[in-house]
Amino acid sequence: MVATPSHDWTLLASVLAVLPPFLSFVTIVLFTRPYPRLSAGLSITAVSFSVMSALMLLLVQGTKGPETYMGTWLISSDVRIPLGFLLDPVSLLMLSIVAVISLLVQVYSVGYMAGDPGFSRYYAFQSLFAGAMLSLSISPSMIQLYVFWELVGLSSYLLIGFWYEKFSATEAGKKAFVMTRLGDICLFLGVLLVLINLGNLNIQELNNPAVAQRLSPGLITLCALLIFGGIVGKSAQFPLLTWLPDAMEGPTPVSALLHSATMVAAGAFLFARLFPFMSLSPTALTVFLTIGTITMVMASTMAVVDRDIKKVWAYSTISQLGYMIMGMGAGGYFAGFFHLTTHAAFKSLLFLCSGVWIHYYETNDLFDIASRQGRRFKIPIICLVLAAASLSGIPPLSGFFSKETVLDALAEGHSPVWLGLGLVGAFFTSYYSFRVVFILLFPKGTEEAHYAHRNSSIPSSEEKGSYWVMAVPLLVLAAIVLVLGFFKRTLTDFLAGPPVPSGRGWIFYASMAFVLCGLGLAWFEFGRKGAGQVGAFEKVRPLRLLFANRWYLDHFYRLLLRVVVYKTFAYLAIRNDRQVIDSGLDAFCGTTVESGRMLSRLQSGLVRNNFLLAFVALALLGLWFYFL
Amino acid sequence: MIVPYSHVLVLAAVTFVLGLVCILARRNLVMTLIGIEVMMNGAAIAFIASGLRWHQLEGQAFVLFIIGVAAAEVSVGLALIIGAYRRVGSADSDTYSILKG
Repeated sequence: MVATPSHDWTLLASVLAVLPPFLSFVTIVLFTRPYPRLSAGLSITAVSFSVMSALMLLLVQGTKGPETYMGTWLISSDVRIPLGFLLDPVSLLMLSIVAVISLLVQVYSVGYMAGDPGFSRYYAFQSLFAGAMLSLSISPSMIQLYVFWELVGLSSYLLIGFWYEKFSATEAGKKAFVMTRLGDICLFLGVLLVLINLGNLNIQELNNPAVAQRLSPGLITLCALLIFGGIVGKSAQFPLLTWLPDAMEGPTPVSALLHSATMVAAGAFLFARLFPFMSLSPTALTVFLTIGTITMVMASTMAVVDRDIKKVWAYSTISQLGYMIMGMGAGGYFAGFFHLTTHAAFKSLLFLCSGVWIHYYETNDLFDIASRQGRRFKIPIICLVLAAASLSGIPPLSGFFSKETVLDALAEGHSPVWLGLGLVGAFFTSYYSFRVVFILLFPKGTEEAHYAHRNSSIPSSEEKGSYWVMAVPLLVLAAIVLVLGFFKRTLTDFLAGPPVPSGRGWIFYASMAFVLCGLGLAWFEFGRKGAGQVGAFEKVRPLRLLFANRWYLDHFYRLLLRVVVYKTFAYLAIRNDRQVIDSGLDAFCGTTVESGRMLSRLQSGLVRNNFLLAFVALALLGLWFYFL
Repeated sequence: MIVPYSHVLVLAAVTFVLGLVCILARRNLVMTLIGIEVMMNGAAIAFIASGLRWHQLEGQAFVLFIIGVAAAEVSVGLALIIGAYRRVGSADSDTYSILKG
């Protein structure tokens, strides 16, 4: 490593970006747990350091070429495991996203979590989460990435199950952990396979096109699919998607973080990180595209019937992640990553807005919030409308640009099926987003009067402080959502991805048509005067049941669990335990006890007998020596 | 030597076995102690006869030691028996069976 001053500067900045959250985690856990305000201050300060360093690195280092710092961590025979930083456009952009969103969420949490008995613990976990995700984004090797990958999984488990007194919360945490672990096993196998065959896990070398000559195409496909398994688990793609809606048991700011910048984004980020490697195998890309599409459509249909505001956004996250995977699977590396960036902004905004109502009304139910005049909170409702519009892809907002890019990438593909499904997804997206918006904006029903007397709606003066603590991050995020889309050109240049196909006119019109259809349907059913506020999909009973039960995926998993785990493995294990281990031990102990009991008869306790025995023994000994 | 050596050895063996039978058959602790004395005397007779047979003085010296040890042993043994009798209230050796398995 050449140590020029500028190198030292970047190295220092990278360390400053990654280390403070970990330090604050340790400090909070060890020393400041009894002082909630101090803990929050520490955590926020730490993450502010990260934000500053990340942004500085983005601005300064981003213009230069990729830079790596590697120190040796472990050497095992001929495998060298390095520890260090990789600073290239992808990692720097991700670093900045994670840092900024973490900071905003932590500031917001000061208001949201105020008075919670686990306040310090919450900030400790938040720090750990931020630190793990920041380190993940600038890891130079797959091993280091995998370590932080698991750390992200751990901290999200801790935060989802944060209110551990609630049974459902612990269950949700466990589910998230186990389901992502299934994917992680795949990822680990993939990493090992690469290590065995390539002898190196350096990400830059993995992405080198020369890899294609060193590995056979089949092997590359296998590795890519195994690594994709990890992405499926982390980013809640098709077979493993049900943990994400359950993860709503955690505090709302956690959901915001989980759904935008960390955890689920880690999967999509890994895909972007290894994109050159993954794209070496066309078969694998087709599989990714298929899985992304299935996820996208499935999750967006789940979102159209749910009454729980957080769950709607959760399904929407899954579906948007499907979009990202689709975009990248179709070869549009930039499309997926750009969508990841914009999605981070508007999805965290959506969650944080919803959090305000959940905080003051203590309910997640859409209709409940609406009928209690949730729209009287001016800042959240305006931000929510903005974010929802961005989510559905309404033109001037950031979501529009990224979704256009994804659809462009899909149009590049060979089959029009993907584009068609992508457009259907766009329709559903705008339908469910505006369903929420219209329900909140135009409350109907008779419950209004019922709630009028008991809600104080606008926070009282002592709550004003916490309200503004929550509102400021919303405004910042809203500003990001508004302007981010206009940086598409800058970001394209920055990521230096393959040249983005110049947008085709008809795609714009087609997608706008679908989006407006969705919007119109939502308006017709939920917005207009005298609308029944019952969606078309809720009227058809089988569809409603299918969507509300998440396509019976959970039931299927339950069944699978019962048949495979409980009835087969657990049964065999129990039989083995009872019949082999337990009874074997029992027999051994029984024999010992029984033989001891028999031998104890010799101990008659009579001195004469002892004497006789001693004499006989001595006589025998004497005979023995005499005759030999 | 008028009496043949083998006869003396038979006498010694008989004395020893008598002592042994006394120990095994009697239950009184004092009788047990007496049995031990008799066994020791059997051994002492064998020593004296052997000393005479091979004209070695050590046999007689050993017997002097045996007599001394026997005296000491009886005094200690009787003291123990008295102590045990005071504790348990019986000199019957079968009552001392707390080590029974």
